[in-house]
Amino acid sequence: MNPREFDVIIIGGGITGAGMQRDCAMRGLKTLLIERSDIATGATGRNHGLLHSGARYAVNDPESAAECIKENRILRRIAAHCIDETDGLFITLPEDDLGYQRTFVEACQKAGIDAEVIDPDQARRLEPAVNPALIGAVRVPDGSVDPFRLCAANMLDAKLHGGQVRLHTEVTAILRKGDTVEGVQVRNRVTGEEEIFSAPVVVNACGIWGQHIAELAGVKVSMFPAKGSLLVFAHRVNNMVINRCRKPSNADILVPGDTVCVIGTTSTRIPFEECDDVAVTPDEVTLLITEGSLLAPSLSSTRILRAYAGVRPLVSADDDPSGRNISRGIVCLDHETRDGIKGFVTITGGKLMTYRLMAELATDLVCRKLGVDKACETAETPLPGSEERSYEQVAQKIWETPSTAQKAAASRLGTRASRISTGDSREQALICECEEVSAGEVVDAIERMDASTLTDLRRRTRIGMGTCQGAFCACRAASLLAGSPGGTARERADLANFLQERWKGNFPIGWGETLREAEYTQWVYKHVLGL
Amino acid sequence: MRFDTLIIGGGLTGLVAGISLQKAGRSTAIVSTGQNTLHFFSGSFASLKEAPQPMAELFAEAGIGLHYSPGVRLMPMGTFREAELSLDDVSIFSTSPFARRVLVISFPGYHEFFHPFLVEGLEKQGIYCRVHMLDLPELSRLKPATGEMRSLQLARTLDTAWNKLVQEIRLVLKDEDTVILPQVFGLNDPSVPGRIRQGIPAQVVFVGTFPPSIPGIRTQILLKRRFEVLGGTYLMGDQVMEAHVHDGVVHSVVTRNLDNHYLEADHFVLASGSFFSKGLMSNPMRVYEPVFGLDVAAAEDRNDWYNPEFAADQPYMGFGVLTDSSLHPMVDGRPLKNLFAAGSVLGATRPELGTGAGLAVNSAFAVADAILQSDTSIR
Amino acid sequence: MKLQEYTSSRHNFEECMKCTVCTAYCPVMQVNPLYPGPKQAGPDGERLRLKDPYFFNYALKYCMNCKRCEVACPSGVRIADLIQSARIRYDHTKPKLRDQILASTDLMGSLARPFAPIVNGVTGLKLTRGVLDATLKIDHRRTFPRYSGRSFEAWLRRREKEQSAFTEQVAYFHGCYVNYNYPKLGKDLVKVLNALGVGVKLLDHEKCCGIALITNGMSKKATSQAIHNVEALRKAVSAGLKVLTSSSTCALTLRDEYPELLGVDNADVRDSVMLATRYIFERLEKGATLRFKPDYHRKVAYHTPCHLERMGWGVFSEKLLRSIPGLEFTSLDSACCGIAGTYGFKKENYEASQAIGEPLFEQIRSVDPEVVACDCETCKWQIEMSTGYTVENPISLLADALADE
Repeated sequence: MNPREFDVIIIGGGITGAGMQRDCAMRGLKTLLIERSDIATGATGRNHGLLHSGARYAVNDPESAAECIKENRILRRIAAHCIDETDGLFITLPEDDLGYQRTFVEACQKAGIDAEVIDPDQARRLEPAVNPALIGAVRVPDGSVDPFRLCAANMLDAKLHGGQVRLHTEVTAILRKGDTVEGVQVRNRVTGEEEIFSAPVVVNACGIWGQHIAELAGVKVSMFPAKGSLLVFAHRVNNMVINRCRKPSNADILVPGDTVCVIGTTSTRIPFEECDDVAVTPDEVTLLITEGSLLAPSLSSTRILRAYAGVRPLVSADDDPSGRNISRGIVCLDHETRDGIKGFVTITGGKLMTYRLMAELATDLVCRKLGVDKACETAETPLPGSEERSYEQVAQKIWETPSTAQKAAASRLGTRASRISTGDSREQALICECEEVSAGEVVDAIERMDASTLTDLRRRTRIGMGTCQGAFCACRAASLLAGSPGGTARERADLANFLQERWKGNFPIGWGETLREAEYTQWVYKHVLGL
Repeated sequence: MRFDTLIIGGGLTGLVAGISLQKAGRSTAIVSTGQNTLHFFSGSFASLKEAPQPMAELFAEAGIGLHYSPGVRLMPMGTFREAELSLDDVSIFSTSPFARRVLVISFPGYHEFFHPFLVEGLEKQGIYCRVHMLDLPELSRLKPATGEMRSLQLARTLDTAWNKLVQEIRLVLKDEDTVILPQVFGLNDPSVPGRIRQGIPAQVVFVGTFPPSIPGIRTQILLKRRFEVLGGTYLMGDQVMEAHVHDGVVHSVVTRNLDNHYLEADHFVLASGSFFSKGLMSNPMRVYEPVFGLDVAAAEDRNDWYNPEFAADQPYMGFGVLTDSSLHPMVDGRPLKNLFAAGSVLGATRPELGTGAGLAVNSAFAVADAILQSDTSIR
Repeated sequence: MKLQEYTSSRHNFEECMKCTVCTAYCPVMQVNPLYPGPKQAGPDGERLRLKDPYFFNYALKYCMNCKRCEVACPSGVRIADLIQSARIRYDHTKPKLRDQILASTDLMGSLARPFAPIVNGVTGLKLTRGVLDATLKIDHRRTFPRYSGRSFEAWLRRREKEQSAFTEQVAYFHGCYVNYNYPKLGKDLVKVLNALGVGVKLLDHEKCCGIALITNGMSKKATSQAIHNVEALRKAVSAGLKVLTSSSTCALTLRDEYPELLGVDNADVRDSVMLATRYIFERLEKGATLRFKPDYHRKVAYHTPCHLERMGWGVFSEKLLRSIPGLEFTSLDSACCGIAGTYGFKKENYEASQAIGEPLFEQIRSVDPEVVACDCETCKWQIEMSTGYTVENPISLLADALADE
């Protein structure tokens, strides 16, 4: 069989593309995933990392809410190592209307979400960080999810099912014969090499950038880019998700995720051209801190690590009436019926929570086109790493008395941690001390998870995501990446890019300890190391 | 407790000023929040070439070797920089290329020395490089439980095991004319780097590692020891919380540890460093000097503190306290008569005094001279 | 307060810049590869522990709580407090019998004191030490502090009248060591204070400061003793008395460990509790005088105990010693002696304990003083055992140098 021929080519390495590739591969299709940058670089990696219970949508969008709670339960089963089952609170503050609580709880119950009204006292006990002034609280099955880990695990499973992945590879043309899409032309953004791949079906899973890919295929999909900004605090202030029990608004969700917590978001429409380079404005920073401090007052005096923004892949309803026919925010377009272009599918809209469902819908469509009749199994089969429910169990099975770094590895890799456990002392050396990431884990990400830059490594291992924001681990990890021929020159540039990327998220909140850390980083790289 | 001079900050600036004053018979105390930025010292005194006479003397008396010759020095990332006055650990090359064949030594599991970048930089110059990962039984002991092999652990072991290392290197050395080693020698025994140079029949070049810097820590140890031998009082791990100032004269300071036991002096020196050392502090509203509330040269609008490009010069790093021509800092434009500012708390407000370690030394001597020339008591 | 005007965190752990300077000054890390070091155990570990207590690492027990990391930290992170309070919060393993015995310094003292000659004889025996080593894992190479036949409290009580005759008074938190093992130090302090015209009172029933309970995992008991002691301090302070200690560790515990580790509020009395050398220094600074022997000569090497280093008060002891005419003073390099209270008694720590102290012992041998001065009783045991040099509290040296009345 021709190595350049596939059953389906998926464009976009976000959670939708990765989930879609996993589903297709599990149904026996020969798949290729193409991503112009790295996994989870778009909206997938630029949100709260909230494992929605659906409660937030219960009042305004009951269908989305029902979908969320269903997927929430599935993800707990199949993606245990990507998820933290924290539960969440919807709090009512004195300035809020307590009457809304009843509407909210009723809507939750209708959607099948367990929403339990609890006493403010109990809420204060459950979550000591919560604003003690609260006058009402509802407990819901919210949680947090690590989108990078989830995306990587989906892609890894696709690879285990024979899928192929090309990262840092850009689609330069969608190849058509008449009204039939036959493949894609791509260019490797590192080497500049061009290639052509063919497949009877090409799937556009590029989120906001799907508008551009659709243009390449000669069809029109109009997106509505809405920027959302968020702040990362340096440690977990809260251990439960805290939401405001009111009509969804700005900066009203605080999510504990891994070692940090995240407040967000804002919402601003931006021109499509700005999607590639969104920045957090000072006004947004102020708004996020002000509103966040109403959820958890200690945020007003907690060190902030960084600010970041993402663009929601909302589909513009105005000039795309057909998109609305598919409800629940998920937009799955068969361009054959919609535009008369055969072999081209767009899957967009939706949200992180419903990625699996989106993948299932789109894969069903692809299978119909290819005449494949195989049922979806992604709701039952655990992702690689998620075979055990908790990292305690994982660590206990591998190590007699796990060290903190080994426990941390188990919490990130799940059962896959056993693959790095046999390393010698050289592989146990810590590369990142803030997040306790060992050399073995970094090598695993390079060798088995397609990481080729420091930023890739960050998404897969959390290096550079901790307190020092890469000051200490970046050059250690760069030395490991520099191993391949010609790798050092590339790594030198990569290191500069990485530090730039970290700084971009630091300077909008560059005061106090963050400014001290930044000054230290400047000294080390410019004056001590001579980068 | 009363001193002639009290210095806030125990880094390079504070120590150089303290030693100069103590040497001249002035009882001096240094209050230092903890250890300092000498721990991240590159080994070269930015903006200084030849050492001024008092500096050469002071460092020699402390047992710290300095040298300078026109040329370049090799940075840890394999780049070259114009040479500046440097510790003896730092090699200065006057010819290019400085070697034809180089043996680069590192240690397995040691991630603080970036030999791939070093080699790439040298190969660009047409220098042939061979990397040898050297394993000594003494070093394997360092790795197990914590999985960390950092420069400090290495340096401690090599302070005693250096001769074994020299023997090993002699065995692996072939036709190379130069041996490059990470700067992990002479933490407590300053003679070790020199002995290694003597023991290896090739040019030996020590190249910097990721901080903490072993030559930097050694410099700190030697300067502090010198200050104390001269009778100076070094209060380590204490922090000046506030000052008592009346009519433009500082009378005493309050420290965290000594609470209501105030420290009094005729002269005070603010050598508290920049942001990292909390000589300057910042919040979303402003940049300020925390002890005296001094006038600070800093952009008002936070957006002007930064350059969005990491690689560019960062405006905030130039912020510093404002001083009159005699290095007296000011409150509301009025100088404090017996307070002097020195070192990086000045930021880039006094470019004529240099930058970095050069600024530290130049301003420390300027302040010490000013104190020695003024009346013992101006109060 | 405005938003983000200041940031705060438990024991300042978010002020950590990850600079690793603390690891350069941790004595344990240099000798024990099982200890993750202050940075990992402290601020790094704290972020993980806040995520899930599961990330607590039992190797934190290797921390000696010497607090040298805190002295070295350029950022003011209270690293040792982070480590010790993490142990208090997350380590719920029941302390071994051995640790319970070692930690119960006052109980042991009150039991052993009446039988001092027998106890001293028995603990001095090779056989006993062998048995202790085998049964309790108390290292057989360790020598035990001797118990005194008569307690300091009993001695001072008999002089109550004489002491209250002074116009000025202080209260004395003598601690277990002075009371049960070495009343001479207490008597020396009384002598010096009396010479300054100050009488000495006992507190209303002091209990052991509790440091050994804290480090041996018995924080509950430590807390109840802290509450009791703060009450006793309060009584003295509200009567207008300063409370002195002659042990640097007791001083640190009463002032800092109570609020920071045990959450026992001592804000109203903290400033009145001080090491005797500071009190004496301040008296002399304010014009009081002491009369010294004209022909006194002693060569003294001064070792600053870790906890005194942390309090920053070594300067008082040093300046006081330097002021004694005829005293030839050498300051020893700042280094830990390795004992850290009960730490060095444990069989599993013996080697590490001696290795940590070796550079200090080496320096003492090379200085070769007549006597080593030090404000800590456990340093005294360790240095005397390891070097053979006699160690005396600066107070005792001061008392010794005073001219006879």
